Amino acid sequence: MTKPNQSLKSQRAWQRRYEPLAPKVGDVAPDFELRDVNGENAVRLSDFRGKKPVALVFGSFT
Amino acid sequence: MSLRDLYTQYNERVQFLVIYIREAHPEDGWSLGKLSRLGKLPGKLGGLAGHVKQGIYDPQTIEERRKVAGMCETALQYGIRTYVDEMDDEVMTAYAAMPDRLYLIGLDGRVVYAGGQGPFGFKPAELKEAIDAYLSQEKG
Repeated sequence: MTKPNQSLKSQRAWQRRYEPLAPKVGDVAPDFELRDVNGENAVRLSDFRGKKPVALVFGSFT
Repeated sequence: MSLRDLYTQYNERVQFLVIYIREAHPEDGWSLGKLSRLGKLPGKLGGLAGHVKQGIYDPQTIEERRKVAGMCETALQYGIRTYVDEMDDEVMTAYAAMPDRLYLIGLDGRVVYAGGQGPFGFKPAELKEAIDAYLSQEKG
């Protein structure tokens, strides 16, 4: 499968495929567990439930 | 309104999670380097650091991805910890987050604000409005 960052066309195709699955306002946010840039300090989205609202900022360097 | 402004203003009341995902414009993919050099890039384009970073290749291993994420974290310059999506792009896919995207999740774990796909839907000012509305509702 072509990578989504291979070309404008591949990125648009990826977006068309996955946009319908993106969580909408009112949906339960998909939980996840990720680690930091050192592979440490695992965090789960659900860790903050009932404690703090969470701003998710997705992106890359380019 | 920049992400740094948002973080500075709200980080005591809102948990910010920066999630580094697959590179949007690596040199070995859909690179914007040529357009950038020609000055033909729309102003909205640019990664988390707010400008088009050239010379970055698509990481092939989680170690490479963490390394580039670390460079990006350093470039952000405001001390917020960056978390790294795994090589299967599971979190990026679950949130349809490529190339960049903003969300606000409420205390009950539900989506309060779902920004549009970047770069043109990436609007920190909209996230600010959502945060203000949510926090004022919390107070009430």
